[in-house]
Amino acid sequence: MKKLFALILTLAMVLSLAACGGKEEKPAETPSETPAETPAAEPTKLTLILRGGTYGDVIKAALPAFEAEHNVKCEVLDLSFDDLHTKIALNAPNPKGEYDLCMVDGSWMAEFTENGVLANLSDMGYEIDDDIIPATATIGQVDGSTYLAPYFGNVTVLLYNKQLLADAGYAIEDVDTMEDLMDIAQKTNAAGKMGYLVRGGSGDNIVSDFIPHLLAYGGWVVDENNMPTVTTDEFKAAFQNYIELYKLGDTMDKDDIVAAIDGGNAALGLGWPGWYVPTADGAADYTVMPGKLNDADSAKKTSMQGVWTIGICENSQNKELTLELLKYLMDPEVQKESVELGGVPCRYSSLLDEEVLAKYPHLEQVCGALETGVYRPVIAEWAEFTNILGTEMDAVIQGVKDMDTGLADAQAALEDLLS
Amino acid sequence: MKQAALKVNRTREPHLGERAFPRLMLAPTLIVMLVLTAYPLLFTFFYSFTDYHYLKHAHKAADFIQLENYIELFGNGYFRQAVMNTVKFTLLAVVFEMVIGLFIAVFINSLKRGQKVMRTLLLLPYLLPAVTVALSWRMMLSSNYGIVNQLFETLGLPVFNWFMDTKTAFGTVLLIDIWQNVPFVFLLLYASLQSVSESQYEAARIDGAGVIQQFWYVTIPNIKNGLALCALLRTIDTFRLFEKVNILTGGGPAGTTSTITQYLYNYGIRNMEFGFGSAGAIVMTLMVLILSSVYIKRAIQ
Repeated sequence: MKKLFALILTLAMVLSLAACGGKEEKPAETPSETPAETPAAEPTKLTLILRGGTYGDVIKAALPAFEAEHNVKCEVLDLSFDDLHTKIALNAPNPKGEYDLCMVDGSWMAEFTENGVLANLSDMGYEIDDDIIPATATIGQVDGSTYLAPYFGNVTVLLYNKQLLADAGYAIEDVDTMEDLMDIAQKTNAAGKMGYLVRGGSGDNIVSDFIPHLLAYGGWVVDENNMPTVTTDEFKAAFQNYIELYKLGDTMDKDDIVAAIDGGNAALGLGWPGWYVPTADGAADYTVMPGKLNDADSAKKTSMQGVWTIGICENSQNKELTLELLKYLMDPEVQKESVELGGVPCRYSSLLDEEVLAKYPHLEQVCGALETGVYRPVIAEWAEFTNILGTEMDAVIQGVKDMDTGLADAQAALEDLLS
Repeated sequence: MKQAALKVNRTREPHLGERAFPRLMLAPTLIVMLVLTAYPLLFTFFYSFTDYHYLKHAHKAADFIQLENYIELFGNGYFRQAVMNTVKFTLLAVVFEMVIGLFIAVFINSLKRGQKVMRTLLLLPYLLPAVTVALSWRMMLSSNYGIVNQLFETLGLPVFNWFMDTKTAFGTVLLIDIWQNVPFVFLLLYASLQSVSESQYEAARIDGAGVIQQFWYVTIPNIKNGLALCALLRTIDTFRLFEKVNILTGGGPAGTTSTITQYLYNYGIRNMEFGFGSAGAIVMTLMVLILSSVYIKRAIQ
């Protein structure tokens, strides 16, 4: 009897284990094209996977109206930069995807389109309209087809503390060369504050923070064949200048950079519009990064695009309805409303609107930066590229390696990666 | 007659049902272990010899590249640095956690009153998720608005950029890890101490043993199994350190806080290079096995 009972117990355990892995049968999805005809039906669920912070918050704020109109329930996942990339990628090979609308950083574009992660929006009938700043849309296009729509106009800007800038004897209109930056940093440092803050942490942070400096010196990280160029004279000169600026300040993470500049502990640093919303009576503001080395130099494009785009996962189970959502989020009126919540649309009609500019004059600067911004190289290995380069640059900044050795090591490792 | 019957019973061969029964009882555990441990381990081992990229090889087989991943791994200076950091971190963290945890456990065990309250309060850091701990400490140690630097400034002490300076980053992460995990050591050793009979201490005192002698000749021998288990668990856990490093320093500055898991995440998992990541995981598993071999050997014996 005891053995029989034990046998039954064993079988029950094995069966329950097997049942744990069982697949839940889901009811068939409601046809997404006709939700308006069946208002009483169960709402269709859409899953949005977004970048956390202001970038995703502005989308979340716009959702209730769409949900009510289309009988949809949106579930939103707010994630960090790395987690967002990983989750979208891990979901991609599944025949039935978990996510519908995804937020994508421009630097992932090559990797995602090469591996069929994103749906072709052009094939689905979506096209970029003329109101969208053209330079922000190109990153989402491959061979004339649109895969991503530019949603949040992220572009590198120079954060500054108004008082410390004035104390250094500068008006923001006068700051147009790299020499000016150095001068302000030196004067601020001499006054006992931090002159310039560089961003520390991951390799991607370090490289992104440095690229606008490199652009001002006329350098770039790859050549026309997408091979690394991190030992050029321009690269070394820009890096030397960057290290000198660092010595007049410190290295910090994003939150500390904003807090230090806003709190009057540091004068300058590079940032992104999503980090900080300037106000008329605020202590800090931002402007475009200088494009000239000195007064004799000609201006170059130094703003680096980091536009957050939105697209549809190729394996989404609700593509048509998600397309409706994407169109709704890209609507000029919806985008204009997002400005109130810290959104930075990639539309002229939103950024140059008189009412908007009266309240947020800095958006004119952002618009200019978005028009001329430069993209990071479109290579599938960009994440590895920044890892390698950022780590070597960090070693040089921290004095662990000298510049020639660090950059030569980076060049060799990058050549190996890209070959 | 009765004795003869018993003898027959003792010497007869167990029948099929009796032989199968223990195996049957072990079956669920074996199945769970096979599915959740053996299969992933074999899978990881197999992929460590391939160039498996999660996205690129979603619909096609990965190429067998023999030992390339391992060669690349050991040829990489940053991996070697991560290994050194991990070993150094593990040794320091485990030693400090064991010493402090033991000291607290002995102290709490000696209290006549308030043991329960102290026990509960001391456990709090261990109950917090590592992510929460990391974020809280990041705020407290912020070089701008952190309470620690503000306190140092008030006291006229020098302030530091704790997580971004090569001189302080490693020590700061180590300190946070020790702060969080000392309660675990304390709890395990406190439980062991509870089982030490008071009569042994009485006998030692009668023999003229002082406090240190009682600790060395009575306490330690009685809790040595608990100490060994605790050291093993802490070694394995510390070797896998990831969240705190990832949130607080990202492995920087200049790789001074990079650990093996952080390295594998940066260069393998984050880039979807699962073949390369698998090779690193195998290396890490072997290292943990070596570190734990003394205890495992003892357990088997």
